[in-house]
Amino acid sequence: MSADLLEVENYSGSFRSKSGQLAPVLHQVSFRLRTHAITAVVGETGSGKSLVALSTLGIQPPSFVRTSGRILFRGIDLLTLDEPGLRAVRGGQISMVFQDARAALNPVFTVGRQLADVWQLRHRGSRSAAMRQAIEALRRVSIPEPERRARQYPHAFSGGMAQRAMIAMAALVCEPALLILDEPTTGLDVTIQAEIMDLIVDLTRTQGLTTWLITHDLGVVAEYCEDVVVMNSGRVVETGSSEAIFTTPRDVYTRRLLSASQLAEPA
Amino acid sequence: MRIGIALVCIYTGIAVLSFFWTPYDPLSPGVGDGYDPPSSTFLLGTDRLGSDMVSRLMAGARYDLGITVIAVSIALSAGTTIGVIAGYFGGVLDTVVLRLVEVFQAFPGLLFAMLVVQAVGPGIVNVILVLSFVGIPDYLRLARAEIHARRDWQYAEAARMVGNRPWRVAFRHLLPNSAGPLLAFTSINAAFVALITASLGFLGLGLSPNTPEWGSMIARGQDGVMTGQWWVSFFPGLAILGLTGAFYLLGDALSDLTDPRRR
Repeated sequence: MSADLLEVENYSGSFRSKSGQLAPVLHQVSFRLRTHAITAVVGETGSGKSLVALSTLGIQPPSFVRTSGRILFRGIDLLTLDEPGLRAVRGGQISMVFQDARAALNPVFTVGRQLADVWQLRHRGSRSAAMRQAIEALRRVSIPEPERRARQYPHAFSGGMAQRAMIAMAALVCEPALLILDEPTTGLDVTIQAEIMDLIVDLTRTQGLTTWLITHDLGVVAEYCEDVVVMNSGRVVETGSSEAIFTTPRDVYTRRLLSASQLAEPA
Repeated sequence: MRIGIALVCIYTGIAVLSFFWTPYDPLSPGVGDGYDPPSSTFLLGTDRLGSDMVSRLMAGARYDLGITVIAVSIALSAGTTIGVIAGYFGGVLDTVVLRLVEVFQAFPGLLFAMLVVQAVGPGIVNVILVLSFVGIPDYLRLARAEIHARRDWQYAEAARMVGNRPWRVAFRHLLPNSAGPLLAFTSINAAFVALITASLGFLGLGLSPNTPEWGSMIARGQDGVMTGQWWVSFFPGLAILGLTGAFYLLGDALSDLTDPRRR
């Protein structure tokens, strides 16, 4: 297996306004995700970091137009796949955890049933077998009393619990090669954030995942991630190992980001 | 809330019972003398032709309830299916469907039903089809609006993200979220359909004249109201009132049942 699971090459694109004008938002974005590593893509809101992730799964907004570039996953350009092709990739190959887990869970089904449904979608098998797998997955992400929790509806879950359930779905039930997390800890308590990140690191190790973490929390990056991609207004301004970026940032924007986060020593 | 369920069950029970047993034959005239007042022999009296009112009311339940339930079921399933497809996939289909629906909705429901029944001719099947057709646009619009609003919600995205096909996302993941509003509307619509069924019967459209349908029974008792034989029109009216009320109450119960937060 090659060292890189995913390569984004010169990916550029624009939003098309109603009048047909193109507003460029991504400029020659290129980076790689090393297999089995946790890579953070950092940048402020609007820097295009989520847009690249959505493009990977073919769910970029309809008004977004690609002007150049490729996103290679195991040598296949995801941007050229049709719907059935994308469906084969989604879930089983690449799965994604959204920022607001409670909005990503369907309010009218029990959490256990939702995990079981996904398991059945992937593996077929009986309803009861799927439910056992769902409960196991919930147990694996340290949800207390998984049997009881599985029978509850999402509104009975706290934000942190819901995020654990979503991670269980995306990382364990789907069994993907690549796990994308779009700001998974934003909006959670600091203590819960740390627990969720520990869980993500643990699952990356034990499940052999390649993890793509979208975040603007540099504290999280410094503590948990091996590689870092810094994005600013649609451009990749710096890539490198987490250590290199934090000790010897080369780009002006990276330095500003670091000083704003109070992680770097004041100059 | 429980009253609604109980009432609908009672009506259903009476309708089923009427197939096996009624005190007298509901269709045969002259079991009494005509305009017999309520008594121990004829609990609710007899009508002008001397048919027993209790028997006719019981048999009427299967017409009014049966027609309503079947017509509403057809309208609910057809309207919802088209609405979900139009709302989820949007585009030209959505536009065409909505414009068509607007054309139909330009006519008041009862007027439309009267015209069509006159045009296609009488018969219980025709009445059912016409009534369901009148209901389809409402379900369609409601389902379409519901699905359209939820299509871009995050759990829809999440469902697509694990590899679900579009129709599965629309019907299995999104539609259940709209069950509350749809069922609540279904009950209101059922009450409305029950009223139209009775109205058509009252006007003598659709069903054959001697059918013990409550609306036509009211019509048959009209003369009696003037001369003091109030029971002939009063009890069918009460039956219609009860059925419509039951459907309204049932709707409240159903929409509570479908919301996990209120269960």
